[in-house]
Amino acid sequence: MAKNTRSSAFRKIDVDQYSEDNYKEDEPDSGPTLGPDENEVNVLLQKGKLLDALRTVLVNAPVGVKNPQVKENALALALKVILSIKTSQIDDILNALDRELLDTLMKYVYKGFENPSEGSSGHLLLWHEKIYNIAGVGCIVRVLADRRRV
Amino acid sequence: MSATLKPYLTAVRHTLTAAMCLENFCSQVVERHNKPEVEVRTSKELLLTPVVISRNEKEKVLIESSINSIRISIAVKQADEIEKILCKKFMRFMMMRAENFIVLRRKPIEGYDISFLITNFHTEQMYKHKLVDFVIHFMEEIDKEISEMKLAMNARARIVSEEFLKHF
Repeated sequence: MAKNTRSSAFRKIDVDQYSEDNYKEDEPDSGPTLGPDENEVNVLLQKGKLLDALRTVLVNAPVGVKNPQVKENALALALKVILSIKTSQIDDILNALDRELLDTLMKYVYKGFENPSEGSSGHLLLWHEKIYNIAGVGCIVRVLADRRRV
Repeated sequence: MSATLKPYLTAVRHTLTAAMCLENFCSQVVERHNKPEVEVRTSKELLLTPVVISRNEKEKVLIESSINSIRISIAVKQADEIEKILCKKFMRFMMMRAENFIVLRRKPIEGYDISFLITNFHTEQMYKHKLVDFVIHFMEEIDKEISEMKLAMNARARIVSEEFLKHF
C-alpha cells in the first residue's frame, strides 16, 4: 500500500506543461541586435538635428533582443531624444516620420510612462496625443498586440 | 481642470478604446470553464502588453488586456496622510459593494488603489463607449471627492474643537 496517503502535494503538479499543443513563443525575427549607437545620436543631438537623431533611435530599436541591458540603454537614449524635442517642433517631426516608426515611437512613449521623472509625463502625454492624431487607434492596438517589445 | 489632467484623461480614453476589443473565449485548460484570462494567465498568447499611463509619480493607470478581459488599475493622488486615509476608506467602502458596481474588482492590484475588471460579458451587455466614459468619469470625480471630504472633515474638526473648548 502506498505511504503517506494524506499528502495533497500531487494536486499542485502542473500536468498541462507536458501537453503537446501548448503555446510556444516564436523566436523573434532578428532585427538590429545592438540597439542605437549612443555616440552617433549624441552628436546628432548636439548639432540640433533632432529628426535625424529620433529616426536613428527608432530604426535601430532593439525589438528582437532578449538582453534587458541593451533595451534599457536604448530606452534611456530614446527618452532623452524625445524629451529634448520642444513642443513646437513635435508636429513637423511627426509628419516627417513613417507610419512604422510612429508605432515604435508610441511604444517608447508608453514605456516612458512607466518610470515618470520630473515633468516627463506631461511632455509624453502631449506626444501621445499628437501621435494619436496622426496614426489613430490602430497605433495603440499595435503597441498592445505586438510581441516585439522595446 | 489643471493643465495636465485633460491630456491625461484623453490618453487613458484612447488607450481604453483601443484595448477594449473583447470576445468570448473559453478556458483552454478546463472544459466548460470560462475565465477572465487576464486574471488566470494560463497562456502567454492570450495576454497583450500591459501599458502604464502616468500623470506624475503618484497618479497613474495600469491597463492590462487579454483576449476576453481587461483590467484597469488606478493609483489616486494622495498628497498627505489625511488624503491617504480618506482614499483607503473610500475605496474600501466601494470595494465591499463591488457587485453593485459590476465592473469593480474586489481587490486592487498591488501598488494601485482601485482596480476594474471588464470582461467580454460586460461589453456585450453594456455599450463599450459608456464603459470607457464610466472609467474616465470615475477618475475625474475621485480627486474632487477626496478633496471635498478633506475640507468637510477639517470644518467638522474645527466646530467640534470649538464646542469642546467652550467648557473651559
